[in-house]
Amino acid sequence: MSVVAAIRPDDWNIALFVHILGAMTLVGSLALVATSLAARDLRLGFRSLLLGVIPGWIVMRGAAEWIAEKENVNDIDPTPAWVDLGYSIGDPMLLLIIISTVCAGIAARRQSTGGLRMAALVLVGIMVLASGIAIWAMATKPT
Amino acid sequence: MYDWLLFLHLIAAFLLAVTVVMYSAVAFGAAAPGRTLFVADRCWDVGGLGTLVLGIWLALYLDQYDFFDGWILGAIALWFVATALGQTLQRRLASGDTPAVAAMHWIRTLVVLGLLVLMVWKPGA
Repeated sequence: MSVVAAIRPDDWNIALFVHILGAMTLVGSLALVATSLAARDLRLGFRSLLLGVIPGWIVMRGAAEWIAEKENVNDIDPTPAWVDLGYSIGDPMLLLIIISTVCAGIAARRQSTGGLRMAALVLVGIMVLASGIAIWAMATKPT
Repeated sequence: MYDWLLFLHLIAAFLLAVTVVMYSAVAFGAAAPGRTLFVADRCWDVGGLGTLVLGIWLALYLDQYDFFDGWILGAIALWFVATALGQTLQRRLASGDTPAVAAMHWIRTLVVLGLLVLMVWKPGA
């Protein structure tokens, strides 16, 4: 299975490249948000969510659909576990991103370093951990 | 074994992406806290070592790749260029040379993108 995964048709490469690029932007931006909020730099944390995390998620998720279509993984019955895991982590993450962006935005506006900042920080921490699990699933492709 | 090597290699690559994104904020003019840049630099230290060691390990482990394949040697060369740029960038940042920092960061970003292109397309493999 691993050897097969290492050899893929060339026309999948662009979709895979865009998917990884989006995922790297997403994870990198989440890390920037986490360190900014931890350092009480609310403005940088909020802007990183708005300009890094959200675009990164859109690119990652869009390219995921693109490559899934090329590989026809959604037509396989039953759907491979690693694909299901990817969707079940990626899709709810949008909700967490929206909630954390709202929390960080209100906190930045009020210059409040209390509960809202902590709520956004906890959600970002959860998303970083979830991203690690998604990377594991994409790399090891558990059945 | 292969799966775990690839997973850890990818985690290391994502740490490099963390560094690139954090320095992008600086290049765009954000006054990033010192703690943020400290985390960014440590991510490059760990991610850089991880990508290099695990990448070479993967190349030796898999029968279909050879250490002397052009795309692997190219990736190693780009890795050294990116790491050297990062070290110069840190020195320039410490001396307050902000325009040079932004320029060097964007060049390093292009080099890292080049690494990703090589890892995905594997030309000649």
